[in-house]
Amino acid sequence: MPDTPTTTRTPAERRRHLSDLATRAVGGVVVTAAAVFLLAPALLTIVLSFSGDDRFNWPPESWGLRQYETLLESTDWLDAIWLSIRIALPVALLSALIAVPAVIAISRSRLPGRALLQAAGVVALIIPVSAFAVAVYGVFVQLKLIGTYVGLVLANTVLAFPLALVVTAAAMSRVPVELELAAMTAGAGRARAWAGITLRLLAPAILAGCVLSFITSFDEAVLINFLGGSGQVTLPKAIFDSVRFGVDPVITAIATLLMVATSLLMLIALRLRRSGR
Amino acid sequence: MTADIALDIQRVSRRFGETVALDEVTLQVARGEFLTLLGPSGSGKTTLLRLIVGFDVPTGGSILLGGRDISRLTPADRSAGMVFQNYALFPHMTVADNVAYGLKLRKWPKERRRERVAEMLELVQLGGYQDRYPRQLSGGQQQRVALARALAYDPEIILMDEPLGALDRALRIEMEAVIRSIHRKLRATMIYVTHDQQEALALSDRIAIMRHGRLVDVGTPERLYEDPGSTFVASFFANANLVDAQLLERRGDGRARVRAVGSEFECRTSGPVLGRPKLALRRRSFRLAEPDGPSIPIRGRVAETLLFGDERQIVLDVPDAGRVVALMEARTSAVLGVGDDVQLHVPRDETVVVGEADPDQGA
Repeated sequence: MPDTPTTTRTPAERRRHLSDLATRAVGGVVVTAAAVFLLAPALLTIVLSFSGDDRFNWPPESWGLRQYETLLESTDWLDAIWLSIRIALPVALLSALIAVPAVIAISRSRLPGRALLQAAGVVALIIPVSAFAVAVYGVFVQLKLIGTYVGLVLANTVLAFPLALVVTAAAMSRVPVELELAAMTAGAGRARAWAGITLRLLAPAILAGCVLSFITSFDEAVLINFLGGSGQVTLPKAIFDSVRFGVDPVITAIATLLMVATSLLMLIALRLRRSGR
Repeated sequence: MTADIALDIQRVSRRFGETVALDEVTLQVARGEFLTLLGPSGSGKTTLLRLIVGFDVPTGGSILLGGRDISRLTPADRSAGMVFQNYALFPHMTVADNVAYGLKLRKWPKERRRERVAEMLELVQLGGYQDRYPRQLSGGQQQRVALARALAYDPEIILMDEPLGALDRALRIEMEAVIRSIHRKLRATMIYVTHDQQEALALSDRIAIMRHGRLVDVGTPERLYEDPGSTFVASFFANANLVDAQLLERRGDGRARVRAVGSEFECRTSGPVLGRPKLALRRRSFRLAEPDGPSIPIRGRVAETLLFGDERQIVLDVPDAGRVVALMEARTSAVLGVGDDVQLHVPRDETVVVGEADPDQGA
């Protein structure tokens, strides 16, 4: 068989092959470990939420829906969830209302300093929330917005709308300006071309941005401690408070429900962004 | 032609601050004519197109479409159809909805719309593609849909901005044929922007050559080839070699006695011959054997040969003239080897003397 290629390797080739295998093995171990570290607490929480005990035990002595029943009977918890939703909904809406015109200004106008505007838009994503919270606290004291619903909506919007901005801007970059121009030459007015073509194509991304802003606001645990005063108790605040006064196993049920709800919303946002492509 | 002018561009300028993107361009396009705006990038051809379609407003002059001044109207009020380089099909609409877009805005009844869409898709050879989405089509097919969309509402003028720029060579040639056949069938007035002179040659009734925001020359492809008028047109449009020439004696009949490439002879002149005179030698004018008619001998050394298939490119170092590029029949030119001292011949009636300056730049 003179034509078959020989399988003998030079020492250098063999070394490279071995180091290749080793690299791949190490990579696999690291990825697995990271996944376990990330997922283990979540899985543990879900398992614990089905414990039937009235305090933390591992492993639980009995199983059941006791935590979920306690949660549904407690008006404190339900009020907290309801307040979080009442804040997150207008935050999501406001985020879209700010993000869409901002994206138009950034990507379609000849406005001077557009790049600066875009950078300013996402600055809230970069500065530490606690620093931001202290600053807002100072302002809100002056404006008497501490402990008010309106104040919480405003502060959460500043924190959440950059996500809507980023998602919408990414979608906008995939909508060529020629589409609008084509609609206009075909006889559409500027407003109609904009709404019927560009806005229509941005819609999934705008919705995805709303969902992400909603989640950000719903899950917000730092600002509320500075700005909530004594009266406003959102769900993350309630969780903190409950942990401070001793550990109530009901929080495992809340955490589980939160995880499920957030995952579902994230899935929706992902789907929306995909469909926009 | 005066009675049948579709588009009348009168001294149109577009300035952006200090920069002059378009400098007093005057141009008439006849009804049913296919006119190409040809020029290198930055020559102002796309700026002119944007002014015609209404994406921009001229800073001077006016544009008349069918006798009506449209230069300050919105695009929607101009009755133009536009085809873009990136197709610009609406991705969320089917092919049929894309083509029907302008008809819907014009409130055509549904049945008539359906018929017109079918007719247009037949015209661009995409019958049966109504329900596809743009993403399911190839680049060439998408551009044909875009063409159908622009033609559907029967606009007074069709504008195309480098529509074949994103396609590969084979597809470009196929699309050129499609565009030609549509123009023949509909006799629509079409303005086509490109920087590719082959495309311009393949499609146009007339070609307007632009440079630095000015119109350098307008004419039929034949005329621009035979009588380029300036070195820019001769080199950019006809790909001619330009070698230094000396005007010995100018005649009144558009001929002159010149000295160039080491000999003295009589040949045609084109344009006013402003600035330094140059002899334009077109690449395909070179012959191995001396032709029957009067010819100019070109002596030089072969620097490079490159086979292009049917043709061979020969690069010649010619004393006093520099490098000269010739395209010759591949089989017969095989005798030319790199380093050979050779003598080629160019028929005298295929050459022309042009001036280095554009006539309108006044030297």
